[in-house]
Amino acid sequence: MRRKDIIIYILLTIVVLGLMILGLFLGSVDIRSFDENSLYIIKHLRLPRVIMSVLSGAGLAVCGAAYQAIFRNPLSDPYTLGISSGAALGASIAIVLGLDVFFFSIGGFAFLFALLTVWIIIRIASVGNRLHITTLLLAGISINFLIAAIISIIMVVNQDSMDKIIFWTMGSLSGSKFSDIAIVLPFVLIGIVIIRIYARELNALLTGNDTARSLGVNVEKTKKIILFFSTLMIGVIVSYCGVIGFVGLIVPHIIRLLVGSDNRKIIPFSIFGGIIFMLVADIISRVAIAPSELPIGSVTAVVGAPFFIYLLYNAKKKLNQ
Amino acid sequence: MKEAINDIILEVNNISYALREKNIIEDISFSLKKGDFYSVIGTNGSGKTTLLRCISNSIQPTKGNIRVNNKLINKYSPKILARYISVVSQHSEFLFDFSSFQVVMMGRIAYQKLLQTDSEQDLIIVEECMKKTSTWHLKDRSIKQLSGGEMQRVMIARALAQQTPLILLDEPVSSLDIHHQFDIMELLRKINHENNTTIVIILHDLTLALQYSDNILALKEGKLTYFGKTHEILTKDNIEDLFNIKAEIIDNKHIIAQKNEIL
Repeated sequence: MRRKDIIIYILLTIVVLGLMILGLFLGSVDIRSFDENSLYIIKHLRLPRVIMSVLSGAGLAVCGAAYQAIFRNPLSDPYTLGISSGAALGASIAIVLGLDVFFFSIGGFAFLFALLTVWIIIRIASVGNRLHITTLLLAGISINFLIAAIISIIMVVNQDSMDKIIFWTMGSLSGSKFSDIAIVLPFVLIGIVIIRIYARELNALLTGNDTARSLGVNVEKTKKIILFFSTLMIGVIVSYCGVIGFVGLIVPHIIRLLVGSDNRKIIPFSIFGGIIFMLVADIISRVAIAPSELPIGSVTAVVGAPFFIYLLYNAKKKLNQ
Repeated sequence: MKEAINDIILEVNNISYALREKNIIEDISFSLKKGDFYSVIGTNGSGKTTLLRCISNSIQPTKGNIRVNNKLINKYSPKILARYISVVSQHSEFLFDFSSFQVVMMGRIAYQKLLQTDSEQDLIIVEECMKKTSTWHLKDRSIKQLSGGEMQRVMIARALAQQTPLILLDEPVSSLDIHHQFDIMELLRKINHENNTTIVIILHDLTLALQYSDNILALKEGKLTYFGKTHEILTKDNIEDLFNIKAEIIDNKHIIAQKNEIL
């Protein structure tokens, strides 16, 4: 690693720690003194929430970078492709069926439905052995429509599960517990490590399947491994934090502008970018209309959706040239 | 005529490739010798690209088999095969920004382990290959900003970085002006002579095929109609048969063609 990179990583770590500390003190209840009450809030409510922001931010950003490489599509993100919604549907179904008493059944359902969504969008967008870029996005967006409709129906039919299900559709970090973190942490860690291991292969995949194969990449195997682990991360993150969109779109995109397209750099920097983005979004969600809270998914969407439109607009200009 | 078995780098045995039960190429057999320069010619739709994609293992022939160094091509792992065969395609689209240097470095993937950083040797090889193709001055330029000729030279540098005894090229000069066409052909001849690399190139320009290649593979309607020494294959009659045009060959160097009026 070059010295310049090390300095940047140290600076980023300082920013992350600063934001984490800020996240512990800001919120609907002002922390003025360290009495017993405040310490309880910090330790049991805000600390797990801040840690969950870190994990979900890192995981979502890295997944976005991975999907963008696998699908060769700079507009890919777990949310725009409908994968997060698939996971939310799986989680909702597990709740309605009363399966949440079993360990990891919600996470497992979320993962299976996310994987099913990946399979469906690939089927829809495949032309020969190529993925059609706009069709892929259309497929993802249509799946979002479909799942939103199914989830509304589930909510109306099961009024008593409504609150729990709304949580999945808008995203929330407020109920995070240390026991949740213990489950999310290993999945995010393993997922990120695996994706980083295949970063060079992901670079080659960006040049096309045939080219990657002729360069010596086992294309099918690499894609399966990356899709499996990134989707597993999405399933687990969504089952504990709900759908938080656009993190995986915005973060890798900005990182790419700063450091170029080499995934060996994009992935580690996206970890930091995702964490910073999520910590800031979480703080905004808590202080914007305090003492009430905004769903974090709506905060990221307010920034993310216009960004997505901007990217579409640019892509259109390029196509018309 | 006896050929030493280890002189043969690639052997194609009776391959066909069918799409929706229609044969794109049919019952093709030939073998490639080490260090030779082959041009593949034929009309559009005659199956040239399909043949090349079979040889590069991008697609599997529906019948027949291909052997590389006397071993079936589909028995190789992608990594090992990438040390034998490299490919330069007609168009390379880059949706993401990579520097020319990074693109050429991708040619070293076949020699790198997962997570391994680019070694000192990789850096030396990439520099050598870029200097040989006169692209070293472009190393920090984004691949998206290169002209057609520069782009193809970078792609050839990447193929060189793979250090393969065989390079396949699918119409690398079709979209270039005449000056850059000769540039690329001269470069390929240099690689062919200096590294003893076998070159297989799809060409539309018969004059280039005549001037640069030792051997010709001529395809017509999916079949290998002619295969042999360039001067024996590129005759007036054969060209007329392949392309349905009237051809004149001048000084064994130039081919002048005009539309065949007798239809």
